[in-house]
Amino acid sequence: MPEQAQLRQLVMEAPGIPPHLLVNDVADMFMDESHGKLLSLPVLDGDRPVGLISRARMQQVLFRQYGRELFGKKPVTAIMNDAPVVIESDMALNEASKAVTERLKFPVTEDFIITQGGRYIGMGAVMHLLNAMEAQLARQTQDLAAAYKELKASQLQLIQSEKMASLGQMVAGVAHEINTPLGYVKNNIEMMEMFFDTNRALVAAGNSLADALLAPNTTEQDLQEKLAALAEMRQQPSGEADDMLKLFADTRFGVDQISELVQNLKNFSRLDRAAAADVDLNECLDSAVLLARNVLKTRVEVVKQYGPLPRISCMPSQLNQVFLNMLTNAAQAIEGPGKILLKTETDGDWLKVTVQDTGKGIPADVLPRIFDPFFTTKPVGHGTGLGLSISYQIVQQHGGDIRVTSQPGKGTRFTVRLPLAGRAPQENAA
Amino acid sequence: MSEKANILLVDDEERVLRSLEMLFRHRFKVYTTTDGNEAVDICRRDRVHVIVSDQRMPMITGVEVLRRVREVSPNTMRLLLTGYSDLQAIVDSVNEGEIFRYLSKPWSAKEIVNIVNQASDIALSLEHESGGATSGVAPGVLVIDEDPSVVEMVKAICGKERQVTWSMDLDEAFETLAANDIAVVVCDIRLRGRDITAAVKALKESNPMVLTIVQTQLQDVETLRGLINHGQIYRFLPKPARRGLLEMSLEAASRRHVAMKAVPRLASRYQVEKNEQAPVVALSNRLLGYLDKMRQGRSS
Repeated sequence: MPEQAQLRQLVMEAPGIPPHLLVNDVADMFMDESHGKLLSLPVLDGDRPVGLISRARMQQVLFRQYGRELFGKKPVTAIMNDAPVVIESDMALNEASKAVTERLKFPVTEDFIITQGGRYIGMGAVMHLLNAMEAQLARQTQDLAAAYKELKASQLQLIQSEKMASLGQMVAGVAHEINTPLGYVKNNIEMMEMFFDTNRALVAAGNSLADALLAPNTTEQDLQEKLAALAEMRQQPSGEADDMLKLFADTRFGVDQISELVQNLKNFSRLDRAAAADVDLNECLDSAVLLARNVLKTRVEVVKQYGPLPRISCMPSQLNQVFLNMLTNAAQAIEGPGKILLKTETDGDWLKVTVQDTGKGIPADVLPRIFDPFFTTKPVGHGTGLGLSISYQIVQQHGGDIRVTSQPGKGTRFTVRLPLAGRAPQENAA
Repeated sequence: MSEKANILLVDDEERVLRSLEMLFRHRFKVYTTTDGNEAVDICRRDRVHVIVSDQRMPMITGVEVLRRVREVSPNTMRLLLTGYSDLQAIVDSVNEGEIFRYLSKPWSAKEIVNIVNQASDIALSLEHESGGATSGVAPGVLVIDEDPSVVEMVKAICGKERQVTWSMDLDEAFETLAANDIAVVVCDIRLRGRDITAAVKALKESNPMVLTIVQTQLQDVETLRGLINHGQIYRFLPKPARRGLLEMSLEAASRRHVAMKAVPRLASRYQVEKNEQAPVVALSNRLLGYLDKMRQGRSS
C-alpha cells in the first residue's frame, strides 16, 4: 500500500535527548540552527521514546521569572511531556492522521514520534501529515471519478444488454407467432400445388375424351380407354371446391397475420433516435399488446378501456418498451388464467396509462425496491432486474412518473403519468 | 397395409389443424383438437397410432401432452411440431416425451407425410406385439467418454452384474460394439476435442437395439434436433453427470433393450431418419467397415 511508504517519507531526523540531560543543555540544542525546523525533540532511553520536549514548553519554562534558575539544572524529564504521541511507521496514513488528531494535545506546537518496531526512527510534523493526507484525498477523488465514469459506462452497457435480453425474448415470441401462420400457409400452398397437378391431369383426360368424342373416326376402344383414364383420374384426391375455398381463405388470413406482425415490429422500433411530435399512445399500447401476445396467449384476457387521448410529443419506441415491460411483468405475475386491464385517460395536464393485473401482487417489503436497478425476485438468469428501473428512467425523461400500488393475492396496478404538453427528452436514455 | 391408421393432431391454431387434416385425411383417420388435455383423453379412450403436437399452447405444453400420452398409450408414436422452442423443451421432449421426431414450423408437406407414414407403419406393425419377456442375461454398457469419473459412476451403478467397457477411441468403441452384446452406450458428443455427433447417429442407424444416453455440456438446439431425428437418442443428460439421473436412465434403457431382444421388431420404433447430408465423411474407413459388418450381421 502506498500509504505506508508515505508515513516513512514524513520522517524528519532529530537527535534524541537522554533522560538525564539538563534543561539548560536541551535549551542549547533548540538554539542549534540545524534543528530550526523542529517544533520538538524526543527524549529517548536508548532507542525507546519515553517523552517529548517542545520548543514552546521550553520557552514557557525558561521565560518565567527565575525559570532558568529554577529548572535549568533539573533533568529534562522534570518538564517533558511524558505521554507523547508515538506512531508506528507502518501505520496507514489515514489511521496515523486519526491517531494524531485524537491524541496530540498541542498540534500547533508539538510533533509526533515515529517508531519502527518500538524503536525511534525520527519525528513527524503535523503539517506534513496534513499535506500528505490532502494529496492522498486528491488521488482518491481522482480514483473515485474514474470509477464513477467506469460505472456509468457499464451501466449503459447493462441497459443495452437488458434491451438485448428483452429483444431476444420478443424475437423468440415473434418467431413462434410468425412460424405458426407460415406453417399452414406453406402447407396449404404445397397442397394446392398437388391438387393443381391432379386437376390439370383431370382436365387433360376430360379434354382428351371430349376430343375423341368429337373426332369423326373415333373407335369404340379408343373411347373406352379415354373414359377409363378419366375415371381413374377422378379417384385421385383433387380437393373439393369448398375445401379449396377454405384453404384460400386460411392462407390469406395467415399472410395478413404475418404482415400485421411485421408491421408491428416496424412500428415498435420506429424512430428509435428521434422524438415524434404526434403520437397516439392508444396505438402504442395496441402494438405492445400484439407483441406481448406470446406471453399473454389466451391464458390472460386483456381488457382495454381507452379514453380519447390527444396526440403527444414523445419517443414512441421508448414508451413502447415501457408498456411491453409492464405487460410482460403483469402476465408473469398471473399464475393460471387472469386479466389485465389497460386504461388510458386524461387528468388535468396529465395523460394517464394504467396497467392493472389480477396477479399475485407484490409484498409490501418488496414494493419500495422494485424500481431499484438490479433488484429482481426472479431466479438468476431470468431477468436483469433492470426492466422497471429503465422504464422509470424513460418515463422520467419524458417529464412523467410511474406509480404503483399492490395487494398481495389480488393484483398490482402501475400508473404511468405523462405531461400532456409533451416533453420529448432531449437526451437519449441509452 | 390396408388398415388405416388413426392419427391425432394437436395445435391451438385451428388453421394448422385444418391444413394438416386435409393433407392426411386420404391416408389416415384423422382426429384433431386444440386442447392438449383432450388429446390425452382421446389417446386413453381410442387407438391412436401417431400423435403430432404443437409445443406452445395456452394451458399445457406439447411436451407435457406427449409425456402423458406416453403413460396412457405407450405404443402411440409421438411427434413434436413446433414454431420455436427453448432448449429445455427439446431436452424434455427426449427424456420425458421419448419422441420419434422433432419437426419445425414451417414444415414441408411431402416430408411430414413421409414421416407420419413411417411412424404409422411402425405403430401398426407393433400393435399386436406386447413387451417381451425379460431374459436372464444382463447385457453390457459401453462408455465413450474421456472423463474417467463418468466411467467410474457407470461402474458403480452397474455393479458386478453388468459388464462395463470404457473406450476413448471411436474405432475401438465400434469394435467393442460389433463383438459384444451391448445394451446401452453412454457417451459425450465431443471426444478429445472432436465432434462425434455423426458417429453417435451412425451407431443408432447400424444398431437400433442399442440405446444411447448422451451426456454433455454442450447445449445447442440444432445439434439436439439432429440427435433426435437422426440419432434417436434415448436420453439427453447434462454434465457434470448426476448419479441419480444416470442410474434411472440406465435402468430404463436396459429394460427397453431386454424388451427389444425378446421382440426385435420393437426396435423399429427407434428408426432414424436417413441423414442426407452424408455425415459419413466424418467417419473413418475403418469405422465404416465395422458399421458394414454390423449391418450384415443383422440381416443374415
